[in-house]
Amino acid sequence: MSTSVVTGEPGGLRRLLVAGWRGTRLFRPILVLTILLFIGLATTQSGFLTSQNVQNLLTGVSGLWIIALGMTFVLITAGADLSVSAISALTGIFLAKIISGGIPGWPAVVLTLVFGTVLGALVNGGLIGRFRLSFFVVTLASMTALTGAVNIWSGTQSFTVSSPVALQIGVNSILGLPAPIWIMIIAFVISLWIQRWTYFGRDVYAVGGSISAARLSGVRTTRTLIITYGVSAFCATIAGIISVGRIGVAAPNVDANLPLQAIAAVLLGGTSLTGGSGGVGGTILGVLFLGMLQNGLSIAGVPSFWQQVVTGVILVLAVLGDHLGLIGDRMRRRRGRGDPAGAGGTVSDEAPAVASADAVPEGAAPADGSPALAEGTPVLRSSEPER
Amino acid sequence: MSDQLTGSLVPASAGTRLLELRDIDKRFGGVHALRGANFSVALNQGVIHGLLGENGSGKSTLLGVLSGQIRPNSGTIVIDGEPVTFASPVVALKHGIAMVAQETAVLPDLSVAENIMLGRRQSRKAFGISWGDVRGRAADVLKRLNLDYDPACPVGKLRPDQQQMVEIARVLATDARILILDEPTSSLTDDQAGALFTVIRRLRDQGVATIFVSHRLDEVMGLVDELTILRDGVTVCSAPIAEFTPDRIIEEMVGKGLLAQRRSDASAVTREASRSGAPVLRVRDLYVANRVHGVDIEVWPGEIVGLAGLVGAGRSEMLEAIFGAVPRASGTIEMFGKVIDTTEPRASIAAGLGYLPPDRKISGLVLSMSVRQNLTMVSSLDRPRFSTPRLAAEKVAMDRAVTTMHLRAGSPNAEAGTLSGGNQQKVALGKWLAKQPKCLLLDEPTRGVDAAAKEEIHRILRESTASGLAMLVSSSEYDELLGLCDRILVAFRGRLVASLSRDEADQATIARFAGGYS
Repeated sequence: MSTSVVTGEPGGLRRLLVAGWRGTRLFRPILVLTILLFIGLATTQSGFLTSQNVQNLLTGVSGLWIIALGMTFVLITAGADLSVSAISALTGIFLAKIISGGIPGWPAVVLTLVFGTVLGALVNGGLIGRFRLSFFVVTLASMTALTGAVNIWSGTQSFTVSSPVALQIGVNSILGLPAPIWIMIIAFVISLWIQRWTYFGRDVYAVGGSISAARLSGVRTTRTLIITYGVSAFCATIAGIISVGRIGVAAPNVDANLPLQAIAAVLLGGTSLTGGSGGVGGTILGVLFLGMLQNGLSIAGVPSFWQQVVTGVILVLAVLGDHLGLIGDRMRRRRGRGDPAGAGGTVSDEAPAVASADAVPEGAAPADGSPALAEGTPVLRSSEPER
Repeated sequence: MSDQLTGSLVPASAGTRLLELRDIDKRFGGVHALRGANFSVALNQGVIHGLLGENGSGKSTLLGVLSGQIRPNSGTIVIDGEPVTFASPVVALKHGIAMVAQETAVLPDLSVAENIMLGRRQSRKAFGISWGDVRGRAADVLKRLNLDYDPACPVGKLRPDQQQMVEIARVLATDARILILDEPTSSLTDDQAGALFTVIRRLRDQGVATIFVSHRLDEVMGLVDELTILRDGVTVCSAPIAEFTPDRIIEEMVGKGLLAQRRSDASAVTREASRSGAPVLRVRDLYVANRVHGVDIEVWPGEIVGLAGLVGAGRSEMLEAIFGAVPRASGTIEMFGKVIDTTEPRASIAAGLGYLPPDRKISGLVLSMSVRQNLTMVSSLDRPRFSTPRLAAEKVAMDRAVTTMHLRAGSPNAEAGTLSGGNQQKVALGKWLAKQPKCLLLDEPTRGVDAAAKEEIHRILRESTASGLAMLVSSSEYDELLGLCDRILVAFRGRLVASLSRDEADQATIARFAGGYS
């Protein structure tokens, strides 16, 4: 087995394809579902596969798409960000206010992005990363407080944004595609790059996989969490700006459902709520699935409440399937290696695993603070899978 | 042999024995933990019976059998002359056998009374629980132990030793006649242990038989009435305490043949630690609240220093505090004569320290990440975080791990969690070696790996010192330290009580110092 490490790697295209297919492991269920839904809608609903409808579908989910990308990072750190819709609304108002205050369009957009990002990084990231408070408490609190701030600041009024920047971001077409779709594509590519091809991406997985192992390895766990919640707020701000651009108005409405929908899309995409695994590739499939479901069912004239029922059922099934699949993997691994305790030192180890040091009643040397019997009997311990 | 042993235990005047274990045999796969015919223990009413044995002697298995957690392959358990079988701990409890595990298992938010009455269902009235009755019964038990705790006080507010007393009280509330205490003093101070012994003696006077497990010879000598020593799954002796001396106990535990065994590993590289200049690591006056009390350590280039001691002696805390994984109350850490800042692991790593934690699955590795990513996690710390990983360098690191450490992984991209225990440990170690630290702190470096992988890890550690890498290795296995180290420090209750050179160190000497007897 070890030879493949040194030599036997398949070449070029084949390797890329194999790696690509392996990379879909976590989101295969949603990949299949999305393709099936697409085929189903394309064949039964004549209005579905038109250029206009597809563009409407995509721009319709642009906010969810971008928020879900940021949310993916947060979920990989074993957290969640409930404050995203409040940040979207607040930064929309911020943009409208500073533009009406005389700051020109593009600088105002940049300023808004900075404002939103710093807000999320300091408030959510700071409290969660520095003080290790529960993400749920922190982001629930910031969602509540920022929703209040939105209403106070706006006086529950909507603000019209007259700057041409609104049209440029929300409506205009570039090379035949509406600007929001370009932003979605760019956001996906950048987040995929950060996740897969930077050390920061690895830090995010490390923090979510085991924060103590990451810290003991010298990873800056606090900084990683602060940046992660900053990324989530940055994405929420982009969503807020696109929303202002599309309708030309900054509305004081906080969609309390949006964070939950984003989390649902991320989970549908195979990212685990317990952290350490998943990715943005699955997330966009989750978003597309939710978008197509909504779009297709409304074309077919199905009441929108059914969309919620279907979404809930599919979410549970997808997560359940993933869970069962992982159990299957584990069983296969245990059978395949003849190493049920996972304690053997080498893969080729022929000795039964219970004979290995792990299963020796006292040989495993209960070290400081972990007595063998307090953890269950040696028999029980040796029957547990390694992970 | 067994008849002879039990025969010597019971005076002619004694009535029916309270508990007898006859010919208990237990195998775990290929491991013969308790060896049938030669394994028997007998117990009378109202005695304190010590149980001693090294790691691997079968002590834990015996306790498991006694408390109904482990079913023996053969043999008989006899209570009051009647053979019984324990299908589960509940059945053992019904026969009056109750065990207090080494780690306290109390519910900190519940009151003393609730903890004592946990799981009991007598205190009911028509509508719910009779709290008066709960408190009354709890107060009775506390009185029996001569303890003045407030039954309404949340257990979390008590000291650890008091929490342990609550656990003992809980066991007594079940009308236990046989109390098993598994290393109850490992986290107690001398005073607290003394208070515990008073309670145990009081219970003896009330007719409760206690089986007392400890590694500390001084306590055993002072407390128990009779003593059984296990070695390799066999009862080697069982007799009234008057027949023992500390030297005899150690001799019986370690085995006569092994007593004088010194390091005789001819294949090992003979290392002569260079003592010129400053030590790689110098720890001065290290204190950790309640755990470590004034420790000084020096480690010189190319030297492997062992840290021996019982569970709870503070070895892990010493390493954690040196590395900055836990805060220290006071003390300085120097490397090459310069005081370094080790308030965070990251700073310690930058100063040239490395730390292999004892639990690779939680703190040693990120199991959900790939082997390659784990292996390069530490060595890539200095890289800008938004730069692209250097895959060529990572491939080199991976290849080196495969060739020098004989790491076996399906692929560099396999999740670390899919590897076997020994290979996981190699990855956890390899990520530090890849960083090329100056001093490596290792806590139980071969825990839970099989014999072959253990041997290989030892080889890797020895070879790594060639470049001057210094190591401080903590282990609860004396063999491991004897085979690996140039010098062995022995910890006892948060202090270092001995520094043994290779010539001075042997199993018995370490065991004596680790047991607080010197």
